[in-house]
Amino acid sequence: MSTLLRRPKTLAVLVVAGVVFIVSLAGGALGNEFGGGFLASPIAHIQLPAESITSGSLFADFQITNTMVTTWLAILFLVVISVLATRRLKDVPTGLQNVVEIVIEGFLNLAESVAGPGRARKFFPLIMTIFLFIVTANWMGILPGFGTIGRIEPAEEVVHHLEESGDEVDLADVRLQLFDGDGSFAVVAFGSVDDEITALEVEEHGVKEGQQAGLLVPFLRSANTDVNMTLAIALVAMTMIHFWGFSTLGFFGHMGKFVNFKQGPIGLFVGLLEAISEVARVISFTFRLFGNMFAGEVLLVAMAFLLPLIGIIPFLGLELFVGVIQAFIFSMLTLVFATMATVSHGAEEH
Amino acid sequence: MGALGINLPGLITQLVSFAILFALLSWLLYKPVLRVLDQRSSRIRESLETAERVRQEAAESQADMQRQLQEARTEGQQLIAQAREVADRFREDELAKARQEISAERSRAEANIRRERDAAIEELRREFAGLAISAAERVIHRSLDEPTHRELIERVLEESAQTGRN
Repeated sequence: MSTLLRRPKTLAVLVVAGVVFIVSLAGGALGNEFGGGFLASPIAHIQLPAESITSGSLFADFQITNTMVTTWLAILFLVVISVLATRRLKDVPTGLQNVVEIVIEGFLNLAESVAGPGRARKFFPLIMTIFLFIVTANWMGILPGFGTIGRIEPAEEVVHHLEESGDEVDLADVRLQLFDGDGSFAVVAFGSVDDEITALEVEEHGVKEGQQAGLLVPFLRSANTDVNMTLAIALVAMTMIHFWGFSTLGFFGHMGKFVNFKQGPIGLFVGLLEAISEVARVISFTFRLFGNMFAGEVLLVAMAFLLPLIGIIPFLGLELFVGVIQAFIFSMLTLVFATMATVSHGAEEH
Repeated sequence: MGALGINLPGLITQLVSFAILFALLSWLLYKPVLRVLDQRSSRIRESLETAERVRQEAAESQADMQRQLQEARTEGQQLIAQAREVADRFREDELAKARQEISAERSRAEANIRRERDAAIEELRREFAGLAISAAERVIHRSLDEPTHRELIERVLEESAQTGRN
């Protein structure tokens, strides 16, 4: 330890790290309680439904939400990578082709070890797509700019939205943020942690000249923090699983697992449980992914609030890990369920 | 449901998006990459099989060569042994022939010698008989007819030869 400290480089790094830590601690929300808080900004508004990036509906009920934008960006990214990687396929792979081949071959081998060589080819496109999309979307979600750049939703619009959702709105509970400037683009300044007002105050006193009250609606939000997205993937996965079940075992072969009269009341009951577990799988698929990714977003927001500058660094690593693990879990469970669905009950017992 | 953010338009949009991604990736990524992977693995399997076959063939041809070499060697040795045998037999034959010839020659020579000796003895006897006759003629001055004389002498000689031999 002492020999390490004697080396000037190490010492310098330690001193800088310590200073940055102290500055960030004092400048953050904790320091704000003791007169600091020069770096702190109000904690971002956290809401479960994805925000609309347009102020009104495009047509009927349809709004383009920020998670849709991210979904499309992820799709675009994957398609571009695919085109680049497969433009000139060579027998001796180089560069991007190598990476793509490693991933695809790894997954194919994994699928073959679980489902056997024949079925692996059938299941492979779905589980690979699930993995690639989820991991891309998750990792995109921790890029800078996600959740921090957006348009300002004015106070009236916020209140209007709340009233639309049907609940009684107490204006004193609606917390808004103050932004400098009056365009639809504005920045949340450092040290603006106390620039929070409620909708009631806005209504009663208005805001100062050159400021506006409202909420930041980010243009980009990690796609899997939207239940619609995770539910969509889960529905596709379960639909395909049952499609494979029907096509492999025949209509009665597959239905026989859920409606079973042959083995008396016990068989009927077991079949009922099976049917319930199929529905439960959709829900667990949906909320496992959604919960993990949404919690990750909230964690990053909270850390950025408590320890600006450096607080989120360790959690970025954690989010990378969680992102790939969740993608892997989703695709592997799909693979396992598909394998189970294409095995008849009779074969399972013997 | 609304509080969670589940709404039908959003859900349908995301479903369609995911389906489009699924189709695009299947078409653009999995199909070509899997084809390349399959091609490569089949090519590797083929080349491994070829290598194995070539190796087997080499081993076979080497064994073949070894066998041929061995055959040639034993054949050569057989040939040498045969030649030696033939030579031996030839020598034996020649020796035997020579020996036979020599003995034949000798017996012929002996026979010759004997014949000549006999002839000489015969001649000598005849001359001696003539001499004896003429001597006796001279001694007794009477002439005897030739054949009687000769018979007489023959008888005398025969007797003397018999006594001489005994």
